[in-house]
Amino acid sequence: MKFGRRAFLQFAAGAVGGTLLSPLPWKLVDDASIWSQNWSWRPSPERGPVTRKASVCTLCDGGCGIQVRLVNKNRAISVEGNPRHPVNEGGICPLGAAGAQFLYAPYRISQPMKQSKKRGDATGFKPISWDEAVGELQKKLSNLRKAETPHTVAAITGHAHNSMQDLWQQFFTAYGSQNLFTMPSHRDSLQGAGLLALGREAPFAFDLEHASFILSFGADLVEGWGSPGRMQTLFGKWNASEAEGAAVKLVQVASRCSMTAAKADRWIPVRPGSEAALALGMAHVMVKEKLYDASFMQDHVFGFEDWTDTRGKPRQGFKSFLMAAENSLEAASQQTGLEAPRIVDLAREFAAQNHAVAVWGGSGGNLPENTYHDLVFFALNVLKGNLKPGGMLSLAATVPLGELPQIRGDETARKGLAQKSADQIGDEKPSLTGRNLYAFLSLVAQAPPYPIEILMIHEANPAYGLAGKQTFEKAVERVGWMVSFSSYMDETALLADIILPNHAALERLDDVIGLPGSPLAYYAVAAPVLPPRLNTRHTGDVLLQLARSMGGSVGEALPWKSHEEFLQERVKGLAAAEGGAVFEESPSDWGKVKVGSTPHRNYTDGAGLWKKLSAGHCWYDAPRDPLQEIRSASGKIELAFQTLDSKGWAVEKDELYLPRFALQAPSGDPKEYPLLLLPYRMSSLSYGYHPNPPFMTKTVWDFVLKGKESFVELHPGTAQSMGLKEGDRIILKTPGGEATVRVHLFPGARPEAVYMPLGLGRKGYDAYIGGKGANVNSLLDVQGDPLSGQGIAWSARAQLKRLG
Amino acid sequence: MSEQGHKQGAVRFGMVIDLDKCTGCMACSVACQAENNISFREDESNKLRSISWMEVFYLDNDQDYANYQYTYLPRPCMHCDAPHHAPCTFVCPVNATTRDEENGIVGHIYPRCIGCRYCIVACPYHARDFNWWDPAWPEPMEAMLNPEVSPRMRGVVEKCTFCHHRLLKARAKAFLEEQDLYEVTYMPACGEACPTKAISFGNLNDAESQVAKLAKDPRAFRLLSKLNTEPKVYYLSKHEWVRKQGDKHFQNSNGNKRG
Ligand code: SF4
Ligand code: SF4
Ligand code: SF4
Repeated sequence: MKFGRRAFLQFAAGAVGGTLLSPLPWKLVDDASIWSQNWSWRPSPERGPVTRKASVCTLCDGGCGIQVRLVNKNRAISVEGNPRHPVNEGGICPLGAAGAQFLYAPYRISQPMKQSKKRGDATGFKPISWDEAVGELQKKLSNLRKAETPHTVAAITGHAHNSMQDLWQQFFTAYGSQNLFTMPSHRDSLQGAGLLALGREAPFAFDLEHASFILSFGADLVEGWGSPGRMQTLFGKWNASEAEGAAVKLVQVASRCSMTAAKADRWIPVRPGSEAALALGMAHVMVKEKLYDASFMQDHVFGFEDWTDTRGKPRQGFKSFLMAAENSLEAASQQTGLEAPRIVDLAREFAAQNHAVAVWGGSGGNLPENTYHDLVFFALNVLKGNLKPGGMLSLAATVPLGELPQIRGDETARKGLAQKSADQIGDEKPSLTGRNLYAFLSLVAQAPPYPIEILMIHEANPAYGLAGKQTFEKAVERVGWMVSFSSYMDETALLADIILPNHAALERLDDVIGLPGSPLAYYAVAAPVLPPRLNTRHTGDVLLQLARSMGGSVGEALPWKSHEEFLQERVKGLAAAEGGAVFEESPSDWGKVKVGSTPHRNYTDGAGLWKKLSAGHCWYDAPRDPLQEIRSASGKIELAFQTLDSKGWAVEKDELYLPRFALQAPSGDPKEYPLLLLPYRMSSLSYGYHPNPPFMTKTVWDFVLKGKESFVELHPGTAQSMGLKEGDRIILKTPGGEATVRVHLFPGARPEAVYMPLGLGRKGYDAYIGGKGANVNSLLDVQGDPLSGQGIAWSARAQLKRLG
Repeated sequence: MSEQGHKQGAVRFGMVIDLDKCTGCMACSVACQAENNISFREDESNKLRSISWMEVFYLDNDQDYANYQYTYLPRPCMHCDAPHHAPCTFVCPVNATTRDEENGIVGHIYPRCIGCRYCIVACPYHARDFNWWDPAWPEPMEAMLNPEVSPRMRGVVEKCTFCHHRLLKARAKAFLEEQDLYEVTYMPACGEACPTKAISFGNLNDAESQVAKLAKDPRAFRLLSKLNTEPKVYYLSKHEWVRKQGDKHFQNSNGNKRG
């Protein structure tokens, strides 16, 4: 690989000779001289022609178009935004821009590994061959089927919006287990909200491309909400100078002066967690002053007026509930800490604006919210008539990909599927939608309904990313055998018994289904940009291999020869379906795609569509008229959730059927723990599956991370009252755990709160990543959502003690 | 700028950064590191030792809670256009750092640099960093080095070059296509990456260019303009408190340098 000095000088001579004819070669000559010096440290990467390969980023669900600069088509030097891609229009986020650092990360797992010592001992991993690794997994899986206990196999995956997730689902159903879980996401609670309000388990989508007034209830719009690429691009447009066109107004409601709050036209500071109370207060004002869309409510909404449940019992509707004492202006004022006239003004302003929309979802919109609160913010949009055609809110349009084959399912699979999933015991209320990862883990740790023999982890890092102290570790102690498919030696992989490493993102084929938060239908294929560097294997191919070798109905359900063929089949189905087109116009035309527009189809068959998609283009279709998408019992938008009855949730109190303020106070005695700990998100700290790459860590301020210590933000007044100064070392203690951190005085902090960034405190990896700061997740309090039962972790009670 | 009396060509490359658009996402800084082979170390939190050509600063308005505001200020090299010399080029005893009067870019010729660090002291913008150590990349990461930019050795100073190699590439291309070399413009890596399109770049001497127009925007200001360094990096902000701080050193209410 080393490029000898002589050969290099020849190459340089060629290059310089060519450009010497141009008038300004000195700098290049200068650079060439340096590259050719004989300093002992001089790195000598292989040289060659530089090309660009377009693809789609899969480091998050944002769906950005990228192009990777390559030397000799096999050495990635940088990742850029694709200027022709409509989501990010050539821009890129810092994580995407640093993406190649994951490819060349020292902590990548270079081949299959097996733990030979105790779990968690990094020195115990011994290399094994792929045949041995897959063979062992296959043998174990087959034995569990032979023993008629396929339900004792579980998996946790990180992505919910790609075909790999569907492949996992197909595998689990054919195999005979219900225990497939995904890492928590705001999509979980939004799907529950969609089900209750519209009869559709789909997340809401916002037409921010056409909004003129954006009222954000704690939504971290610029930190990376939904699709960070889309949001950053939009933010630039909202702040176009007068010469460049009309500006859009952004109002941020939040307890902390977050990046979005600082960049908003107005920041409305409220008590932590009280955003939904403000929305209800505004709804109260809008109803009282008749500022809502009355004809829309009349024609399209059920449960605004009083209603009768299926058992004939009269029930209170949302309208009169808003007039109840608990939803009075005074109540809202007290809960939010805002003066009543400000709430009235904001309600009037929101009502008066033409294209106003309310958005929500903190922590980058990536963690589940209280479902009642999702429904409160939704209801505020309904009052505004935002679900009308041309309105600002709809359901994310679905992508008509090819269906997977019907699963015949043998006797063993039927038996396995007849077992309840391990997150449900006894006669608790059935979960509204999906699986409950936190319930699963705490049951496995304490009183599992049955043992979990095999736990597989794919593109997820629950040991780092889940809230609560050792939530995952405690469960793993009771798991028979743990399999990781991670490309990285992360906190979770470290606990595995065997590792079957996946290719890294830029090396593997993947797809992106849907653009989070956007009403358009979106589909993209992430073609690999360079061949795999290490002895890794695509997890999709491993799953297919396992199914093939098990044969029978499992093999039949996953008939594809490779993961690539599987994706091509799905794309063939997309090509055969009605509607949609590949986006080949100028990115600025993206905003012209509206409800009712019919994209001009520009492919004839699956192969043609595949070719365009694997060249980095995306498929799209117009948003749907939300009123046509409603599948609720009443056929209307339901603000009284009668679906709860049909789901076996009959409840007594009327208000439990309505959007309401249902803040769950975190555990702990406020006297012992006087402060509230709240996590916050920075766009320069990656808090998900991918750790912070060194390029990003360089940009982290020294009042966020200094050496091995991270800082918490305290209001200067709060700090003073506790005798704390900038930089003081403290122990931050919550009922769940404690961490040593330092104090940073931040006037944008709510005086009763202490704030800690997400994304620090990783363990292991390499010296550039591990051991930097404290992990806020492990300090947070996990509570069950009153509706969905899903774990929410928005805060914890906290006390601070000065050290030394 | 002609009244400054120094010889100059028709081209004056400059940058305009719209702080109203900038979200402090740091993509510019990351893209600059990847483009320019900027080395990194295990611990980058000692900002006096950390090498960063595009550093994002944090400014606040010194108010409390409900009235608190802050903004981000990405700071590349200002490529000062002051007559005859930029502060750094003036003090360099060995002509290692010079301004190319043909296009206004202040360059740094590493093999000439003797590491005396006078230029670091002279630069009022903290735009220059010193290589205290040999750069070392964790083994496989060397593969990411961009062949168009040389890495720097221990003992020399480095700073933002306005991605000068991109200009050379653009001119080489124009030359081969027999086009006017002085019409050529290009986009540095930071501006290309910026997801909010906060960064514009071009020829300030071309009245029709976006940068020339934006530099005349009523929101425009330059850093420490009272020093008469004539930066070719302009900032835009609608907030008066931000524009005012353009003439102060970056200090926050606690008195510690942020960034
Ligand atoms: S926003 Fe997400 S998809 Fe876009 S570049 Fe960043 S990580 Fe990739
Ligand atoms: S112009 Fe180039 S060298 Fe300067 S900050 Fe931007 S990317 Fe870095
Ligand atoms: S990339 Fe753009 S938005 Fe992000 S910090 Fe840099 S200038 Fe600001």
